[in-house]
Amino acid sequence: MSKVSQDAISSLKQIRNDLNSLQPDDTQTLIQIGAGLEQIAVGLPEEYSAANELIIDCLGTLQAIFEGRTNDFVESAKLIGVALVAVDQGISSVPNPITDAIIEHAKKNLQKALSVEPATGEDQPTTGETPSDEDAQPESADDEASSGDLTTLDKVAAFLIQIEPEDTDDFSLICESLKALSSQSSVSSVKKLLTKAAREANKAAKGKSSDAQESLTLIGDLIEQASEPALETQPETEPALETKEEKPESRKPAAPKKDQPAEVPEKPAPEKQPEKSSKPVAKEYEPDVLTDDADKMLLTDFVVESRENIEAAESALLALETEPDNLENINTVFRAFHTVKGSAAFLGLARLTELAHLAESLLSRIRDGEIRCTGGYADLSLRSMDMLKEMFESLQNAIDGGLMTLPNSYGDLLEILTDPEAAGVSGDSDGNSKLDELEEESAEQSRGKLDKSSRLGDILVDMGKVTEEQVMLALSQKDGELLGVMLVNEGLVSPDDIEKALAIQKRLRTEKKSSGESSVRVRTDRLDRLIDMVGELVVAQSMLSQDESLLRGTQFELARKVAHTGKIVRDLQDLSMAMRMIPLKNTFSKMARVVRDVAQKCGKIVYFETDGEDTEIDRNMVDLIADPLVHMVRNAVDHGIELPEDRIQSGKDKIGRVRLSAYHAGGNVVVELQDDGKGLDSKKLLKKALEKGLIDSDKGLSESQIYNLIFAPGMSTAEKLTDVSGRGVGMDVVRRNIESMHGRIEISSEKGKGSLFTIRLPLTLAITDGMLVQVGSERYIVPTVHIYLSFRPGNNAISTVAGRGEMVQLRGELMPIIRLHNLFNIPNAIENPTEGSLVIVADEKRRCALLVDELLGQHQVVAKPLGSGVGKIPGVSGGAILGDGRVGLILDTAELVSLARQNPNERGQTESQKVA
Amino acid sequence: MEKETSTNSTQNQVSTEKVNGGKFLTFFLQNEEYGIEILRVQEIIGLMPITRIPRTPDFVRGVINLRGKIIAVTDLRKKFGMEDIEQTSETCIIVVQTNGTEIGVMVDKVSEVLDIADAEIEPTPAFGASVPTEFLLGIGNTQGGVRLLLNIEKVLSDQQLLEFTNEALSQMV
Repeated sequence: MSKVSQDAISSLKQIRNDLNSLQPDDTQTLIQIGAGLEQIAVGLPEEYSAANELIIDCLGTLQAIFEGRTNDFVESAKLIGVALVAVDQGISSVPNPITDAIIEHAKKNLQKALSVEPATGEDQPTTGETPSDEDAQPESADDEASSGDLTTLDKVAAFLIQIEPEDTDDFSLICESLKALSSQSSVSSVKKLLTKAAREANKAAKGKSSDAQESLTLIGDLIEQASEPALETQPETEPALETKEEKPESRKPAAPKKDQPAEVPEKPAPEKQPEKSSKPVAKEYEPDVLTDDADKMLLTDFVVESRENIEAAESALLALETEPDNLENINTVFRAFHTVKGSAAFLGLARLTELAHLAESLLSRIRDGEIRCTGGYADLSLRSMDMLKEMFESLQNAIDGGLMTLPNSYGDLLEILTDPEAAGVSGDSDGNSKLDELEEESAEQSRGKLDKSSRLGDILVDMGKVTEEQVMLALSQKDGELLGVMLVNEGLVSPDDIEKALAIQKRLRTEKKSSGESSVRVRTDRLDRLIDMVGELVVAQSMLSQDESLLRGTQFELARKVAHTGKIVRDLQDLSMAMRMIPLKNTFSKMARVVRDVAQKCGKIVYFETDGEDTEIDRNMVDLIADPLVHMVRNAVDHGIELPEDRIQSGKDKIGRVRLSAYHAGGNVVVELQDDGKGLDSKKLLKKALEKGLIDSDKGLSESQIYNLIFAPGMSTAEKLTDVSGRGVGMDVVRRNIESMHGRIEISSEKGKGSLFTIRLPLTLAITDGMLVQVGSERYIVPTVHIYLSFRPGNNAISTVAGRGEMVQLRGELMPIIRLHNLFNIPNAIENPTEGSLVIVADEKRRCALLVDELLGQHQVVAKPLGSGVGKIPGVSGGAILGDGRVGLILDTAELVSLARQNPNERGQTESQKVA
Repeated sequence: MEKETSTNSTQNQVSTEKVNGGKFLTFFLQNEEYGIEILRVQEIIGLMPITRIPRTPDFVRGVINLRGKIIAVTDLRKKFGMEDIEQTSETCIIVVQTNGTEIGVMVDKVSEVLDIADAEIEPTPAFGASVPTEFLLGIGNTQGGVRLLLNIEKVLSDQQLLEFTNEALSQMV
């Protein structure tokens, strides 16, 4: 907080104390207070313009008291007190919507107090300190005076926002002025609009309009449109007008003050102007062009940052759909777009700026409560987000030397965003009323939970200032008033108490915020290196602790120290492993989007819930798991969940449920996807599999084996193809991806009740579970997941084909033997299979037996690439540091098998290699 | 052999490349003293257990664990077609940086870090087909004797290795 506001706050306190002891005839104190306030107002930094305005209002009221124009001195003084509390709130933090709202309310009250004063409009300007002027005075007493002034559109507009919806006289006045203006106007379109507005006003004036407030807004819109072309000639007056029209309700109290334009820049209106005027001409949008000297680093950073921003915004937006009134979420989304807009503008990316800007305008309307983030508006916001993502994609492409393109629908979207209502977008959701109810319910619950301890009423009750009943009573009568204001008005608590309670509330809220995760961005390669180094440290430490001189048992002190270091090193290792873990939260929230989109497309009603999204998983796996999950979630919604009618028919709830959960179990991460749809139809699956020739007969297949058929390529039980799924490719990809992560997937399903997909994944990709095998003097690591079994064959199990190809028989299955020592040309290895061990491995086609000397045991190793100096070695997938610090090679069994198949005569091959 | 002659023709080109003087790390292979630009050298480590890599040319000794990083080790003796000798306590591995990666180079012993002036560097003379001179930047003719200045990048990014692995890969397909 700046020193200025510190000072201001302390003098505010002084002034409030003075105010409390103020007597009606104590002009001395009154002047003192006035002077103090003035000083604060002057000293306030620019960003606190709202607070500044409020102070000026207070001065106005003080002046009124001074001149004896107030009906009720105590009331006025009290209002000033409350207003000053609001000022305090406003300046003791960065300007934000909450403080703005508080200030707004205080202002409204003050103005009400002023407007009941017996003073006439002409008297008003004499309130010396107020730098207000003649044409913007709002008081209803002004009606007669200003009616003659309604000669220009913006004056009408300015007047419009001051009138009360109930005030039919004002409406007729407006009607008259509009009619007059319309007859003056030379532009036919403007004429038309004005006539329409006049008709509406007339209707409202005669009380025919069903909702006066609505008419007011409508008239405002019409006037706004009418004044649009005029804009070019008088751009200064227009922005303010448009802003006022945007939110007739909330802006009303602020309108009369001249300082108001200070607030305007953050409103969407001024920026909207070039958009609209250029609309008819510029339908073709040229993509941005990266200049040669563009800062690629900067752009890359921008893309990365913006993607993250948008990702965060997306989940906030989705949450917003369920609870449209969550201010925090709105702000998150708003901030994201705003940041993107700002950065894009800075980087000269006009198209991005344009889109982000329009989306921001839409969001600002949501933020200001003008529209609710539901149905069409939510869709529109999401579409803008997708478009932004696409554009980041193309920007990245351009950075990498490609061409920057604009998404096809860019122009269309821009047009819709410019005027959503005209494009038929509305807040109505498409018949998902039941869903809304459900969401409403859960939103209600979460709202209840939310901030329970930080509600002003609770704090006041805790402070013992009021009883719970009083708070409830105040709340029940509260119509748009702040609780604090109500309680002060009713004389239940003093402004001081409110101030204290507000301070506590503020602290509670900030505490809540700061308890969130704080993080530092670290480049991934640095992180990887750190983790490598820690791994190395562990090996070095274990070498040290097994040093002979320690094992002799004479060096107690040293042994103790080494043991201590060992402990630290182990902790460090745990920590470094934890560093690569990130929660599944982002992945899960992406799925929420998938569910939403697919459900809408298929006309299904789906309630999506997630659980355990804080479960952590290796950073590298997060991306890998997203793809299969998308497929599975899509399938669950498209194939699993039935249409609402079908669900009702089968006696289920109309709303389908899809549940995605994750947890740790037995050193694995388990991700479960459960739906309560129709389940897998094993008969249908069998029939399809037989048709496609995937199986020979349907006999002897267990239930789970049948379900596993859905992973086969080309398998799909969907009767018809949709653009969502049904081509039978998805599940094949799912299995591949999961297997590439060394994971497993299991299915259980009950017909008519739903299915459960369980994915088990290792905690991290970096650690491979491997079997250490010895061949001659060499040791290799065979990934355990690739080993079916290993055994030592008896003599009679071995047979040769044509004296060369060796086969081994295991449980009736004949498998070729691959001699690793031949393949890798390793001397001094065991050549007789009956003395060594056979490890059964496989490639896609068939199983083989790998001959090794012996199995040394299971190890967890960290897989690393071999140095670039050796290139790709067939049969070897990488290396790993073994416990003794040496490098062990990790075998790629599938490659080995195909290698052996390519060179059936390994011996000859390796010998020729020797010669070479 | 044919290849050698063809590279010989590019010989002139190599020698016309300006070789700047500066500090060189010198080492021995048999009785010959070689030099590597010191800026290429990351570190010198003693011999450590090397894991042999199957199906690679014999001059690739294998891989070692350099503080958690796996790097390949090339045996320069084998590379230059010299005889194999017993490893001694002086045998060591010079870790060099080429093309952003580290590669170990096994040599008989490391000698010293030497300043060789521009003027002392002579272009590589042509020896004819039998001597692979394409690996040389030039010859440092100093008072202490003659040092063969290696173009280590060329030595390590040798086609031979690439061809070998490509061949092995193509067998698999």
